[in-house]
This record gives sequence, C-alpha cells and structure tokens, in this order.
Amino acid sequence: MDKLNTLVIEDDPLFRKVMASTLGLCEAPAGARSSAKGAGTLAGHAIDFAENAAVAKEKLEKDHYDLCFIDLKLGDRDNYSGLKLIALARSKGIYSVVMSSHDTEPFIQKAYELGCDDFYAKGNEDNNVSQVLARFWQKREKSKEENIFKERFITEDSATKLAIGEALKYAPSDLPILILGPSGAGKTSLARLVHDFSRRKGEFVAINCSAYTEDLLEAELFGYKKGAFTGANETRKGKLLLADRGTLFLDEIGAMSLKMQTKLLKAIEEKTFYPVGSDIPETSSFRVISATLEDLQCLINEGRLRFDFFQRIHGLTIRLKPLSERKDDIFPLISFFTKQGRRLSFTQEAKTELLGYNWPGSVRELKKLADLLMAGEEGRVQAETVKRLLNSLRPEEGASGFATDEQYRFALRQGLNEAVDRFIDGIVETGLKAHNNRKYATMRDLGISSRMLYDSLKRLNVPLRKSTRRKPPVPITSIDTATATGRISVPEALRSGTAAISNVNSIEVKEEVVA
Amino acid sequence: MTANQTEILEQLIHDVNSKCASLKSAAALLKNVSDQERRELLELMAQQAEKLTKVIAAYKDQ
Repeated sequence: MDKLNTLVIEDDPLFRKVMASTLGLCEAPAGARSSAKGAGTLAGHAIDFAENAAVAKEKLEKDHYDLCFIDLKLGDRDNYSGLKLIALARSKGIYSVVMSSHDTEPFIQKAYELGCDDFYAKGNEDNNVSQVLARFWQKREKSKEENIFKERFITEDSATKLAIGEALKYAPSDLPILILGPSGAGKTSLARLVHDFSRRKGEFVAINCSAYTEDLLEAELFGYKKGAFTGANETRKGKLLLADRGTLFLDEIGAMSLKMQTKLLKAIEEKTFYPVGSDIPETSSFRVISATLEDLQCLINEGRLRFDFFQRIHGLTIRLKPLSERKDDIFPLISFFTKQGRRLSFTQEAKTELLGYNWPGSVRELKKLADLLMAGEEGRVQAETVKRLLNSLRPEEGASGFATDEQYRFALRQGLNEAVDRFIDGIVETGLKAHNNRKYATMRDLGISSRMLYDSLKRLNVPLRKSTRRKPPVPITSIDTATATGRISVPEALRSGTAAISNVNSIEVKEEVVA
Repeated sequence: MTANQTEILEQLIHDVNSKCASLKSAAALLKNVSDQERRELLELMAQQAEKLTKVIAAYKDQ
C-alpha cells in the first residue's frame, strides 16, 4: 500500500492530540493492502497538522495529501473558514472529512454541497474515525480497481473483477498463485498485474514450459555453465536467477515433465538450485505464479502432475473465464485495443455477429480481429467484414494447424506414437458415444478398420464382447491391407507417413465387421 | 433576548460543545495509550477545562 498522507486541520491542541492518537490506533479494514510498518493500523502513515486556515491553505496547495480532516471553525473569531478549505481539498482530489461541533442541518448541507465526502460530529472519535477510514479505504480500493479494469485488465464481468480483486489482495504476499483458464483468456496479463502490485523489486520473468523439451527447459530455468553441454558456449543465467526478488511465471505447467517438477519443487522450497553443469549452488528469492489451460485434477489423476508440486504452486487459485463467457467485454476490449490507433464503429448487424461468435481463441483472437479491422478499409464495420475476418482467423480443417497446442505438448512429452494413439482413442470414443456404442456404425462413419477400433477399445479398457457372427473378410488394399494382416498397425501407418493424422477420416475401409 | 444575545449564546454553546467533545474523546483514549501519551493528554485536558471555565466566566460577565 502507498504511504498515506493525512492532514488534520484543527485549532484546538487537545483535539489535535486526540486525532494523532486516534489515527495512529485505527485498524485498517480487512483486505486493505498494508505497508510493512503500518500493517493493520495507520501508524506507519504520515499525519500532518494545520492549526489555522492560513497554514492549512498553504499546506493543501503545496503538499500532497490523500485524506483531510477539517474543522469548520478555526479559532474563536474565525468565520467558518473550514468551509472554504473543503472546496480547496476537493479540487486537489483529497478525501475530505468535516469534523465539527457545528453539526446542524445548514452546516451539514453546505459542507456536502462544497464536496466533502464525510461529516461527523466531534466527541466520539474512537468510533467515528475508524468508520470514516473504512469508507475512505473502500472508496480508494474501488477507484483503484476501476482503473485496473479500464487500463490493465479490461473487463466488465463481475466474476472476473472479483477473481482479479482476489488475486491483487494477495499480490504483496509471497503466496504462490495458480491461474487457470483457456488459452488467450489473459493468464499472462493477470500474472504481470499481480507482479506489478506486489512491490517486489525484481523482474517479472515468464517462461512457457510447453515451448521447450525437458533438457532445454532445465537449462532455461536453472541456467548453465559454459561447456555443460554441446552448444553451451557461455555461462548463462537461468530464469530462476533472473527472477530473484521478483516473480517467476510458469506458463503451461501441465507440459512440464515429472522429473523437472521434482527439480523445480526443490528449488522453490529451498530457494537454492544448481545450474546445469555447475556444482556451485545459486540462491534466488522468487515468487511463483503458474498457469495452465488443462484440467488440474485430470493432470494429477493421470500422474502428469506431482501432488507435492501442485501443493507448492497452488496457494491461491484463480480461474479466468474465456471470452465466450464474458461477452460484455467484447466492445470495451475492442475500444482498448484500438485506443492508440484507428477508432472503429460497428453496425448493429456487425455487433450481433461479434456477440454471436464463440471466440475459441478468447481475448487473443479478439485482439487479432481488432488488428485486422484497424488495418482494413472500413471505419464503420459491417457484418460481412466481421464474418469474413473471423473465418480467416479460424484454422482450416485438415491444415497443418489442426493439431492443438495441447496435442503438440503431449507429443513432446510422451512421443508422437502415444500422441497418435491418444488422438485415435479420443475420436473413437466420441464416435462410439455418437452411435450409442454401435461399433459398426462407428467404423463406417469414421472410415476405420475393425483392428483399429479394437486396438483403441483395448487401450480405452472397454470390455470386448465376442462376435456372434462374422462375415468373411473382403479383400482390402493399401493402408488397411497392411493393418488387417497385422504387418503394421494403423497408427504406425499414420506415423510412417502413409497417412496424415488429419486425414484419418479419409482412410478407405473395405473390411466389413459385425461385432 | 436580543439578536446579539442570541448570537452570543450560540457562540457559547458551540464553544462549550466543542471543548467538551475534545475532553470526551481524550478521556476515551486514556485507557489505550502509553504512560507518556497519557500524561500529555491529561495536561492538555486540564488546559481545556481551564479554557472552558474562562469561556463560561466571560459569558457571565457579558
């Protein structure tokens, strides 16, 4: 929390003393981000005093204050000069509180008309001041958060605001944060925001764990010594060390191998680690924020995420909704993306088109669209333009972009053979569900052989029922010939390049099977 | 009562109110502060009580 500057304008020395003691003793409201020194109280904040109107005016004009307590009558012969000071304080954006024994209706009305935020009658300071401060904190937090949602993480969705507010509440702590959400939902933006609000002196260091093989990830995270491996021509600092006194953001942690999780767990717990090829330990004090788009429970159940590692990284879990679930954010986001460039306007039909789209790429996809629209010909955007550009953003079926990021990471981890099997099993399972477990219909629609189906069912642990009747096999050719005769499996045929993964549904089936 | 007398009375009420309010708040603080601060508060409270007496005496004189 920033250090607060408070000015108390009061002519009575006893009351000045009362205010000094009361402000020093007041509890900050729960959730208020407190400074180390003044945690839980306002004791660590600066309190300044002015005993008459002239001094108060000078201080208000010259210095910076966040909060100001104003007595209306400053001296025996004073003509309520405190009233004039309200207007001055408000013009400086200071939260102004009138404390006066002149608490009759005309004075209260006048003070509020001049812009004071609070008014209370003197004599019950221990109760009133704490309530005033609670209202001050509330207003300040609200105003800060509103700025965040307009400038840093654009959203009008109340659940998303709540989630981000929760994350920011813990920003100054060392608590690890785990951010869950689909690709493009803003996980990295939130991690950076938390870092910026953490008051950590070090850097925000991000790494996408899915972008590296295990060895490379180790070198990236822990750094390496010159000559540690082929290509290590110089000693290099790892991300852990670069994040010293800062934040280490581990994106796509689901892609990290178990071995790497073990190594990282140790480094997180001990804040000490060995760079690759070095026997001299390095020390780094970093806060961990991690993110994944995958289902955590699934990762743990499948044994892809160590439970102890999970426990270490999930102090606070924040879920970010995809754009499809917070469509009220579409236009504020477009407005934000186009802020520095060409401003756009949408026809009603274009708006309907944008709101009707399900945004599989979430905010990232919207950003791409905004960039395309800014570079386009229309300032007033038509529905047809939106449709055309959204189509251009979608990956074409069967194109090289067919494999998802998650599939690619799985292949990196488990090998392509496993990835192909997993892909086939997923398709087979979906096909069976669509056909009420009717195998023939599934094979026919997917265009696969019985062998491929049964291999998949075996991997899926689906109990196999023996066939009651069997039709004689008809001659088969090409890829199915090889698979049906058992020379190679269909996945192998796919792997060997005989068929592309995206063309699974184009393999011709010439074998008829009745299960 | 003349307008002037009313004004003087209003002024007195405010002064008494204001000073009593300080005394009340200071008294409420006494149990929660350090010995040093308590001494300072008591001294200021005594001065305040004196001022209060003077204000009332001045009104009587008028």
